[in-house]
Amino acid sequence: MSDRPPAEDFEDLYENAPCGYLSLAREGHIAKANKTLADWVGTSSEALVGTPFHAILTFGGRIAYETHLAPLLRLQGFVNELAFDLLRSDGTKIPIIANAAEKRDADGRHCFTRITLFKAIERRSYERGLIDARDQAQVAVGAGLETAALREQFIAVLGHDLRNPLSALAAGIGLLDQKEPLSERGRTIVEEMHGSIARANALVANLLDFARGRLGGGLTLSRDADQPLTPVLEQVLTEIRSIAPEREIVASFVIAEPVNCDRGRIAQLASNLLSNAVAHGAADIPIRIAATTDGSSLTLSVSNGGAAIPAGAREQLFQPFFRGVVLSSQQGLGLGLFIVNEIAKAHGGKMTVMSTADETRFTFSMPLVG
Amino acid sequence: MVLQRNNVVISGEGLRTILFSHGFGCDQHMWVQVARTFEPDFRVILFDHVGAGQSDLTAYSSAKYATLQGYADDVVEIGQNLGLADAIFVGHSVSAMIGALASIKAPGMFSELVMVGPSPCYIDSDGYIGGFSRDQVLELLDFLADNHLGWSAAMAPAIMGHADRPELGTTLENSFCATDPEIAHEFAKVTFLSDNRADLSSIAARTLILQCREDIIAPQCVGEYVHQHISNSQFLLLNATGHCPNLSAPDEVAAAIRAFV
Repeated sequence: MSDRPPAEDFEDLYENAPCGYLSLAREGHIAKANKTLADWVGTSSEALVGTPFHAILTFGGRIAYETHLAPLLRLQGFVNELAFDLLRSDGTKIPIIANAAEKRDADGRHCFTRITLFKAIERRSYERGLIDARDQAQVAVGAGLETAALREQFIAVLGHDLRNPLSALAAGIGLLDQKEPLSERGRTIVEEMHGSIARANALVANLLDFARGRLGGGLTLSRDADQPLTPVLEQVLTEIRSIAPEREIVASFVIAEPVNCDRGRIAQLASNLLSNAVAHGAADIPIRIAATTDGSSLTLSVSNGGAAIPAGAREQLFQPFFRGVVLSSQQGLGLGLFIVNEIAKAHGGKMTVMSTADETRFTFSMPLVG
Repeated sequence: MVLQRNNVVISGEGLRTILFSHGFGCDQHMWVQVARTFEPDFRVILFDHVGAGQSDLTAYSSAKYATLQGYADDVVEIGQNLGLADAIFVGHSVSAMIGALASIKAPGMFSELVMVGPSPCYIDSDGYIGGFSRDQVLELLDFLADNHLGWSAAMAPAIMGHADRPELGTTLENSFCATDPEIAHEFAKVTFLSDNRADLSSIAARTLILQCREDIIAPQCVGEYVHQHISNSQFLLLNATGHCPNLSAPDEVAAAIRAFV
């Protein structure tokens, strides 16, 4: 007999349960409360009966209860996981979590609102910590975005300001080249300087396009289907050949139909792809550039030999500031392919890349009547 | 656009239009029981303020809704969109003042105002009793920030846009009175820091003030203050207790409005 556990006493379970029990009458006054709850707030169950529920809530809790939770209870009959503070008789607060449900009669009339309350000191302070951490993270993200925007503005201004000294240099070198008697060695140096200026101008153009894209302007196109594209591509070819005279570039342009494009932009795209091939391709394998039309689209591809681009890197190729593994003397800003991709998108076209141990080929395609 | 932005719901048939506007903390659901009784002989309009219920949350801007006028401008836009003239505006809690501002901005749109638990100013100041101290209002704002986590989790399904799947609406917890926590916090600030006492004398519409007993949000002395400062107004003390008689005593509220119009 002595081994038998004592039977559970429901009266005691209600009064001394490890949670607070509260019943509210229709007009919001406390109709019944258990001892646990009364102990928490520092009073007796008898003293609680008849007082308004909001008397044991902090001010914020009262307003939230009246404006939000009471309506919610009336409308759906229950509310779960309320976070509240109970106001103790000595003025201190106890953080709690509560569930509430309405008890209705057979006709659906509201009889009582039953509320079960749990102390949640640790949990609430943890949640408070989470909210603080989130707020701090938001501030940090905001600051980061601001810095990024500032950096992009800086890039735009820098790019723009570099243009003037570069044109002055180009003009000066042009004068030396045409008007001044130069030695054989001097002529070679001037030619190399021409190449360097062209390269610097291309970098500045990429910078400005990048900044424009990032700062919301986007790439603007001035399309013209009436003018031929081939001479523009030939011009690009001539420029690249003058910069890299030692490299063999095989070109094939068969553009039979008018292409509704911004020719300056397509030239920039071709120039970036060719510069890339010069920088990354194997020196002893010819670079090939081909452009064709097939009645509905223009396809322009540039290929070079050399090591394949690792699969992992391929996906990031068109991201700004991405740079492959190259000799430091050949390092650019990593904007070339990003701009290429932007130009392709602006034309309603797309860029694809194929890379094997034999060949790496970038292909641009766009609709003729974009 | 305006009608979608504010989730405007039109029902009923009648020569006159009655528009119900909800207050802070809930949405148009809180008017459904009262509004239903007007459908046989009135055109009935329910809507959600931007940020509440099924309104278009993307239309929310902290700048526009930094004052009650922003909400009142929305009411005027709804009224213009529906060609309202001499209509009845019924506003609960803070919406009573929103309706007052709308009636002042668009004379002729509302010939009758019904204010349920109105308060032109919640904070006490020299001689005026609003029922709240500034510190208490700040405590309220802290409370809302604290409850943020609970609210956003519970509200998420409703906020994340199941508007296209109404069948989910009945089973979703807290799908009534859905409120984006951030917006609720800002709305609370605008509501409880507002002071529209100076606007009361500009109200030209016939006005009925419905006052509850034991209303800790809008105490009886505040309702009486509103009555004294609106020239063409009537004051009625309801038997209902608390701040939401439209839910706790819909029949009494409906009867009072009907007797007035």
